[in-house]
Amino acid sequence: MNTTRKLWIGLAGLLATSFGVLLWMGAKIDEQAPPVPERVVTPRGEVLYERADIERGRQVWQSMGGMQLGSIWGHGGYVAPDWSADWLHREALTLLHAWAVREYGDSGYDALPEERKAGLRERLKVHLRRNTYDAANGTITVDADRAAAIAAVAAHYDRLFGNDPEMADLRADYAMKDNTVPEAAHRRALAAFFWWTAWAATTERPGARVTYTNNWPSEPLVGNHPTGGTYLWSVFSVLFLIAGIALLGWHHAVSHGREDVPARLPETDPLAMVRVTPSMRATAKYFWLLLALFLVQILLGAITAHFAVEGQELYGVPIAEVLPYSLTRTWHTQLAVLWIATAWLGTGLYIGPAVSGHEPKYQRLGVNVLWVCLIVIVVGAFAGQWLAVMQRLGLERNFWFGHQGWEYADIGRFWQWFLFIGLMLWLVLVGRALWPAIRRGGDGKSIVGLLFLSAVAIGLFYGAALLWNEHTSLSMVEYWRWWLVHLFDEGFFEVFATAVIAFLFTRLGLLAERSATVAVLFATIVFMAGGVLGTLHHLYFAGTPTPVLAVGASFSALEVVPLAYIGYEAYHTYKLGRSTAWMARYHWPLMFFIAVAFWNLVGAGLFGFLINPPLSLYFMQGLNLTPLHGHTALFGVYGMLGIGLMLFCLRGLKPGVVWNTRLLKGVFWALNIGLALMALLTLLPMGTLQVLASIEHGYWYARSAEFMHQPLMEMLVWLRVPGDTIFSIGALLLAWFVAGLWMRPGGEAALPVGSRPTAQEP
Amino acid sequence: MIEFYPQIKLVHIVSILASGVLFLIRAIAVQRRWPWAMAAPVRYLSYSIDTVLLTSALMLMSVLQQYPFVHSWLTVKILLVIVYIVLGSFALKRGPTPAIRLACSIAAVLVYGVIITIARAHDPAGALRWVMLE
Repeated sequence: MNTTRKLWIGLAGLLATSFGVLLWMGAKIDEQAPPVPERVVTPRGEVLYERADIERGRQVWQSMGGMQLGSIWGHGGYVAPDWSADWLHREALTLLHAWAVREYGDSGYDALPEERKAGLRERLKVHLRRNTYDAANGTITVDADRAAAIAAVAAHYDRLFGNDPEMADLRADYAMKDNTVPEAAHRRALAAFFWWTAWAATTERPGARVTYTNNWPSEPLVGNHPTGGTYLWSVFSVLFLIAGIALLGWHHAVSHGREDVPARLPETDPLAMVRVTPSMRATAKYFWLLLALFLVQILLGAITAHFAVEGQELYGVPIAEVLPYSLTRTWHTQLAVLWIATAWLGTGLYIGPAVSGHEPKYQRLGVNVLWVCLIVIVVGAFAGQWLAVMQRLGLERNFWFGHQGWEYADIGRFWQWFLFIGLMLWLVLVGRALWPAIRRGGDGKSIVGLLFLSAVAIGLFYGAALLWNEHTSLSMVEYWRWWLVHLFDEGFFEVFATAVIAFLFTRLGLLAERSATVAVLFATIVFMAGGVLGTLHHLYFAGTPTPVLAVGASFSALEVVPLAYIGYEAYHTYKLGRSTAWMARYHWPLMFFIAVAFWNLVGAGLFGFLINPPLSLYFMQGLNLTPLHGHTALFGVYGMLGIGLMLFCLRGLKPGVVWNTRLLKGVFWALNIGLALMALLTLLPMGTLQVLASIEHGYWYARSAEFMHQPLMEMLVWLRVPGDTIFSIGALLLAWFVAGLWMRPGGEAALPVGSRPTAQEP
Repeated sequence: MIEFYPQIKLVHIVSILASGVLFLIRAIAVQRRWPWAMAAPVRYLSYSIDTVLLTSALMLMSVLQQYPFVHSWLTVKILLVIVYIVLGSFALKRGPTPAIRLACSIAAVLVYGVIITIARAHDPAGALRWVMLE
């Protein structure tokens, strides 16, 4: 049995086992998700909330932007508080104060001597952590004191989410628009939902000493501290990481220098010989669309960041009335995925006929129809979200056409189906173009097959977004959502990235197909060994049982292992780029691939692992260290890759045009320096200060307006301006460069294929 | 943020002076045909200063809640900054002849001066106001 066949079998076995365990974990999560009660009552039989209130509250929360405005169980936006932690803290303080007044006089809890405070706090822990849920009749019973505290906190939220002028400053601090939820009945339901998430975060599971959320959030008042498992599996995850690095280091030492090198490097650029078919030419508009989406995404990112200091205004313009924070953040995060996906869709459609030399019938029509569909989806889904956030769509239509509120999976279900069907159309278009190349067999069959399989996985795994419905438990929505975000974006995108870069090198004749196939298969096995079960690291505190924490911590640590050796890949790419004179044509696409490797190490590896062990995430979840990882990994890796792929395709689409490499150099450095400044001047220091606050005072404090609007924190937000400005200039230069390929193509002499580069080329 | 107002203002003023001085030096260097005037380190120094200048300007706008197209002196100042940038570009790079580059350099320095007086007076008339008052 040859090496390739062994690796294919190994990969199949690994994926079958990993997905088996992941699905089994899903079943456990479903079984042990925090229960939504039929009713919440006092011992005297007064009904505080019913199941319908909590479920309706969740719908209201989703319609106003859900995770894009504050967070629940740590998942979501960063300017408004985590509503679970905020409710929990307010309810705890209200109870302490009520007891203090009743038992020690009017001056309240704060005025008490420390011994009495300690006594009340111990009582509070017992009181709030006790599980009074009766599974037989689905009832949670709370005593009169707690019922009064719930009513007081609900009144606070009613005023906050309404239009109470006294709360205007707090709303601005939270970047909420006035009248976020105009209907009083909806605000009451919203409070019911927030209360339930806080209840799950502080109530111990039956027969256990940990809460439904593994004691998250950190809240000293109610005894929410990291569990023994949180400490234990954090230490073990580091152990596994070191072991994995050692093992892969051994593999590299053994296999170093064994790869086949093509006997003779091509004297001219093989891709320059590729006939550009009508459908390939039609992909140009994907790259124009990509740039438009990218520029809009940056603009929305700037407005979103600005809301962190001015709340409802943009330099005096009351922008929140028409474009509130939850909407700009929604569109900013979604456009990130959409423009990157557009780059990959365009690349797939370009590469298919280029590889096989076959232009299937009506291929160009398919490419054009898919592009129109993409525009319809973006415009339709975004319009629905605007109507939802402005509370004009109605809760009944929200799930299908409005705002689902789940970060990165926010668009209405109708649009999700539309996108899924679009991805299937893409698969068909790419598949039928590639098919002749796969059928031809030979060494190239495997690498083309692998590329196509990763494309299939990208298409199919978007289907995870369709697996929850309007009333699926919060824990299960999180489970499927992370299938989408982690497996789709972080898993199969990674495989696609590795496969497509290796594939391009084989087409350029710089890598032997057999060794490229082996390398890509091996890399896929290494990525997937940690990647599939690593999905669970997002779910440590999402109402899941402890085994999720154990498996998630152990396997996600392994995800970092290949990243520790990414320097090999970067150096390899660099070497290939200098192997022939004509490779100078691909200098800047290759530089973007090297940037992919750099940010894979820094953004995904270092900043990813920073928040990965359970103990880290326990204190860091939803703080600015999360967007530190998010920006540097999502843009740093996939954004840079998308730009690199686009440039590769543009080389083929406009083969005779000499590139303005000075401009591209500016693009490259501006994007990289801008991203680095954003990370180092703002996100890292802000996140670090927040972590200290979270450890010392509790999670609620690290997310509170009191903390987030200290002068120092606001100054750190402002320090985004230099980096963001440089980054934006890079994006504008990129758009200018691409526009120049069409607007000024004849301005410079065409580069003869295979000639040495001109002085303008590097 | 108002707590940091003195520091932000100081950074703004220092970066304005640094930007102006660097422009003047480069404009002279261009006239004398010294090649370093457009060398990469000098250009990047200029970009860096201007980025700091922009950041501190945006911070001051937000802290003081004074905005262009709301407060007339800021509107005039912003429009003149655009004129200054265009003149600067012609003075250093785009001017087709040394004479045009010299004329643009002198005009840019004058505009720079007017901007300073507008900023000092918080008045769109700038130094003219002082003259008129006297």
